[in-house]
Amino acid sequence: MGPYDEEMKRYLQEFRPQEIRELKIAAQPRNILWRRMAAAAAVAVCAGGLFWFARRESTRSKEAANIQAPKVAVTHQPEHRTILALTTLALADNERFEAFLAEESQKSLPRFQGERSALKVLAKD
Amino acid sequence: MYEKHGAALAAYARSCGLDHASAEDVVHQLFLKMLGEKAFVPQLPLAYLYRATRNASLNLRTGRKRETDLQAAEPWFAHPNGNQDEVLNLQQALRELPEEQRETVFLKVWSGMTLLEISEVTETPLNTVASRYRYALEKLRDRLGKYFQKRG
Repeated sequence: MGPYDEEMKRYLQEFRPQEIRELKIAAQPRNILWRRMAAAAAVAVCAGGLFWFARRESTRSKEAANIQAPKVAVTHQPEHRTILALTTLALADNERFEAFLAEESQKSLPRFQGERSALKVLAKD
Repeated sequence: MYEKHGAALAAYARSCGLDHASAEDVVHQLFLKMLGEKAFVPQLPLAYLYRATRNASLNLRTGRKRETDLQAAEPWFAHPNGNQDEVLNLQQALRELPEEQRETVFLKVWSGMTLLEISEVTETPLNTVASRYRYALEKLRDRLGKYFQKRG
């Protein structure tokens, strides 16, 4: 390098590159680590919540199925008509009223047919 | 290292066509990357930083060609006598240099490396580096002659 080049170099060195902002290095990696951990925790909580909710719902539906079963049985029981309804039926259609009574008497009164019927017991006596 | 070479690297990024904020971002990201990747410790960090700055700047500039003309009027050097015209002429002259010559000038003048060190970090023969530097100074002298002569 000649002296002329050295002079030129010194001339160029008079120009200073513009300052740039400080480099903040300490907070950055920790910040990223915390963000990642927070994101992982959020995902874990969401997944746990969904799992818990799904299990709860399935248990509930099972319980509901168990509870509903007796209800169905109840609905198949013979309907109890009120006195007013029976009176109306007797006045309007006597034959149906008689049939209803006969049917109900078979369900509620003891049977007189069969080996252990009340009639046979009385006959033996 | 950041305090010593950060500003020169940002100026180099600006010579590759970036605005001030983008040049700062490029330099910051490079230092953070270098500090963050503990497994990767370049043997010649300054050469790595110059090369990486150039690559990042060129990648970033690809989508921003329109902005380059506007940036030509923005100073990325400061001169003690405050002559803005002189600063802009220097910037333009640096932009017009071939990439290798510009890199050599930055490494020699503003990063304070010897030609031998530049030869090692750029993996280029010493004679080639010396030629690049000499040609670059000639071009800069031609371009900045009027200011340089006044001073001399």
